Amino acid sequence: MIGRVKAQTVETGKLLADWIEDRTGAVSMMEKFLYEPVPKRGAWLYTLGSATLFLIVLQFLTGILLLFYYVPTVDHAWNSVYYIMNEAYFGQLIRGIHYWSANFLMAVIGLHMARTFFSGAYKAPRELNWVVGVVLFLLVIVLAFTGYLLRWDQDGFWASVVGIKIGSYSPFIGGYVVNFLIGGDVIGPATLSRFFAIHVWLLPAILAPLIGVHLYLLRRHGEFGSEFEYTERLAKLKERQRLEEYERRYGLGEEEEERRE
Amino acid sequence: MTEVHRDADQGRAAPAKPVEEEVITEENVFDRPDETMAFFPGQVLRDGYVAAALLIACTVLSYVFPAPLAEPADLAETQYVPRPEWFFFFYEQILMFFPGYALISFGAVIIPTVFVVLLFAVPWLDRSPHYSPMKRPFATVTGLLVIMVVVLNMLLAISRVINFPQG
Repeated sequence: MIGRVKAQTVETGKLLADWIEDRTGAVSMMEKFLYEPVPKRGAWLYTLGSATLFLIVLQFLTGILLLFYYVPTVDHAWNSVYYIMNEAYFGQLIRGIHYWSANFLMAVIGLHMARTFFSGAYKAPRELNWVVGVVLFLLVIVLAFTGYLLRWDQDGFWASVVGIKIGSYSPFIGGYVVNFLIGGDVIGPATLSRFFAIHVWLLPAILAPLIGVHLYLLRRHGEFGSEFEYTERLAKLKERQRLEEYERRYGLGEEEEERRE
Repeated sequence: MTEVHRDADQGRAAPAKPVEEEVITEENVFDRPDETMAFFPGQVLRDGYVAAALLIACTVLSYVFPAPLAEPADLAETQYVPRPEWFFFFYEQILMFFPGYALISFGAVIIPTVFVVLLFAVPWLDRSPHYSPMKRPFATVTGLLVIMVVVLNMLLAISRVINFPQG
């Protein structure tokens, strides 16, 4: 009886998988992605890229949850953040993850970039993936900058004032930059609205598809390193040569000893 | 079952079946690269470990060191000394080397812009066929210098913050 149920369940599962495969091709795509060859060496270093992706996903998720309570107005912004931290269910955890994963993100992106640079992974045919990566890096920096003001506390506010002032030193376009960021004569309600729109809508909307391009290009050219990785073979060669050398030097002696015995 | 499927069952990338007991000599060592592994489970597991560690770290930190929230913004206050976030420390410190109206736009905008343009151009600036950092010393030394400048300025900024907490 139980065997029949088992067999039927397996059968149904197979039917379902076949149906999905026929209609979408998802199963064979999954197989292709999961069993794609990647180099053995560097596996831990390659976790930097996926860690970046993971932290950005955390940013998206916690950011959406924060929007449930956050109010982007001068009167209520600080109060709503205070409410999130002290009253809302898991508010402290959600904002904490948003804050800390943003901090980790800056560090991990830097490491990911350094790994790419020092291993020469930006070379042909992967130049455009490097370019997309730099754009993503800049977007994350601007996201970090615009997020700081949204708290509307002394730290975020005055740091943003300094940041906007730095922007005003841009030659030729300084005035336009400041106008665009402030949206008026002084930093006030319009500025908060703009930073909110940039932080929550504009930049994530650019970021998400670019991450897709980054991953597409990664898959297209394959993970860096497998096509010219000879470390293991070289190590095997060295080991064999060492053994031969050892035998040449001492092997004869052993044979002589045996003969004497 | 096809050849590909059987290999996939063993968790190995499809065509990379090793030649049995191949003797590697000076001549054939570069004939083909090392054996690869399948993305799953080798790489996926490692990615998962790192992601889990990061998530745990974020969760613990959000209760041990809650995300900061200072007093509400007071637009009339003039004595407040703002501090950037730690990843902007080095940038703020670099600005200190460009005092005055004439110089500040260099430190604030022009040099960073040039740096970003160069960053975009990296693949076309370094077109040597070598990948190893040892075989392209110019790129490696330049990269290390950039990291040194960033880290040193960051340390300078931190020491300044510790020395002058009130600015």
